[in-house]
Amino acid sequence: MNTATPDTATIEVIRKTWQERPPAANPYLHGRMTRALEAFAGKGFPTTRLENWKYTDVRKLAASYPEWLRTAPDETATPDLEPLVGPDSVRISFVDGIYRPDLSTAGDLPPGIFAGSVSELLSVEPALEDKLGKLAQDSDSAFVALNTAFAGDALAIVLPDNVELQKPIYVRFHSSTSQLGTQPRVMVELGARSRATLIEHYTSGHEAIVNSVTEIRCLENAALNYYKVQDEHTDSWHTAAQYVELARNAKLTSMHLDTGAGLARNELHVRLAGPAANADCKGLFMGSNNQHIESRINIEHAAPETQSRERFRGILADKARGVFNGRIYVEPQAQKTAAELTNRNLLLSKGAEIDTKPELEIYADDVKCAHGSSTGQLDENSLFYLMSRGIEHDEARSILVEAFAGELLGDTGIEAIARKAQQSLRALRKVEQ
Amino acid sequence: MLIEIKNLHASVNDIEIIKGLDLDVAPGEVHAIMGPNGSGKSTLAQALAGREDYVVTEGSVSYKGQNLLDMEPDSRARAGLFLSFQYPVEIPGVSNVYLLKAALNACRKEKGETEIDAVEFMRFIKDKAKLMELDEKFLSRGVNEGFSGGEKKRNEIFQMAVLEPDLAILDETDSGLDIDALKVVANGLNAQRDGQRSFLLITHYQRLLDYIEPDYVHVLADGRIIRSGGKELALELEENGYDNILAAAS
Repeated sequence: MNTATPDTATIEVIRKTWQERPPAANPYLHGRMTRALEAFAGKGFPTTRLENWKYTDVRKLAASYPEWLRTAPDETATPDLEPLVGPDSVRISFVDGIYRPDLSTAGDLPPGIFAGSVSELLSVEPALEDKLGKLAQDSDSAFVALNTAFAGDALAIVLPDNVELQKPIYVRFHSSTSQLGTQPRVMVELGARSRATLIEHYTSGHEAIVNSVTEIRCLENAALNYYKVQDEHTDSWHTAAQYVELARNAKLTSMHLDTGAGLARNELHVRLAGPAANADCKGLFMGSNNQHIESRINIEHAAPETQSRERFRGILADKARGVFNGRIYVEPQAQKTAAELTNRNLLLSKGAEIDTKPELEIYADDVKCAHGSSTGQLDENSLFYLMSRGIEHDEARSILVEAFAGELLGDTGIEAIARKAQQSLRALRKVEQ
Repeated sequence: MLIEIKNLHASVNDIEIIKGLDLDVAPGEVHAIMGPNGSGKSTLAQALAGREDYVVTEGSVSYKGQNLLDMEPDSRARAGLFLSFQYPVEIPGVSNVYLLKAALNACRKEKGETEIDAVEFMRFIKDKAKLMELDEKFLSRGVNEGFSGGEKKRNEIFQMAVLEPDLAILDETDSGLDIDALKVVANGLNAQRDGQRSFLLITHYQRLLDYIEPDYVHVLADGRIIRSGGKELALELEENGYDNILAAAS
């Protein structure tokens, strides 16, 4: 009997693939990547025996990983990347994990704002070594470690103090080659009192593995609008994590839209590190066919008078499976914290399923925290009411589904993203019928 | 006849509520159906509108010469049948305007007409809102969302004014209304009596009939019409209560 678990074999192939790649030129980055690879090898892929992975089985993903990591990217692919947001944005595009200046307009950024590779940034600002990439811990998650090991050079966006960036920064990660694995990494720092809008948009033309990590640090009084739109090929695997740290009075407004991939898992970690920091996070995930979509949020209130509100909704059709886990953690010093977490789900068929778990962990005594979750089907009374006004059954259903999403999308801020969501809803309805 | 109901039997959860009801309504007529609680008034309204869990087990309903019972609720509505709900549903996220536009366009689509022009539509519904003394801001709010009882009922009649049905079934439209709201609703209804449109007023109390004069009054008891008469029957009921009539009929 073979005593080696399949995982060990998988890890060894992944290690070999890593060793065959040219090492990072920057010694700091190289060291980091080496340590991350070992961190990953020590952990292996998570199994459903782990509480955090109870509902998401990545065995098939793990089996494809070694081979897909070896797939060669197409450096000359010319996919038709219709941007989600209009020309009034600064575009930064990656195709098959490779930065594409020809599909980007980063040069339009006002002077003083850096948007480029981390190695380039470190060459001008070596002191940043101590600051960059400290939010996501390779020891915390195998997928973060894997990302650090393979992402190598990340996209860095740095705004100095007192900059108000009018145009949104639109970062597009597109996989063009079939069965390719990419590891997008984004590091963002907003200087004190700076403001910006960042949109990450993930798409793929074929089945692909995407494992992304984004780290965002907002200094005092900075404000970031963050959007993440995941609309990958339905046979893709998408794992992603965002780590956000908010200093005093900093504010995060975020919206996650997950509609694609066969298996998608997103983790949003927000640490309200400074007093009066504020986070307002929304998310909408929808699945059909056999899609599996997990959305996790982890909000840490670590300073007094911090506020957060999380509103997440799921819509599942056919045999789609959803998982929602929302955790609010209030540290002892975070007095006068206010936090509110809600998750509402709509199941459009008997075969659809959701596991939802909101959690509060509170170690301060003077706080105002609430959480709630509900899951249901379309309301028959509402359906009959609409039909009694002459509206056909299918139209009435889709009106109610759009209304469910619309309540959340109402103040999305970027019209194109709300439109995108509505489009996906209509697609969902077609599949469902 | 606009609608001919013959020997109608209807059940809810396998319990028979309507037990052989006959009723004919000609174009332009106003019929009041009165009866004590539990007599089957609302069941009749819901069954005619086509609610799934109100199962017709026997009898026939002919509407404009068609078999109404074969039609889905939305087809019934597009054929000009309107139900004003006793308990209108709140639908957050769907504005009144959106609902009405979808409803109007569904009718137009069936007739092979193009979608209604947006400007024309807004002008049309604003006129109708004025008739029901509904503030224009109600139009953009979610359907019945956070409306008071009276506002909900006014909204029902407003929808009816917009959809211009041939047969309006009003299920306890007067319940839960104070006298001022009742007057507004009654005025709205009277404005829609044009000699062609027919009404089925389902009510427990005679009060509504002070404002809307019916051509016929029927007393419903235990799923059957036990007495029919002119508008004076309502006054008799008001004076003597249901018990006397029920006793006389048995």
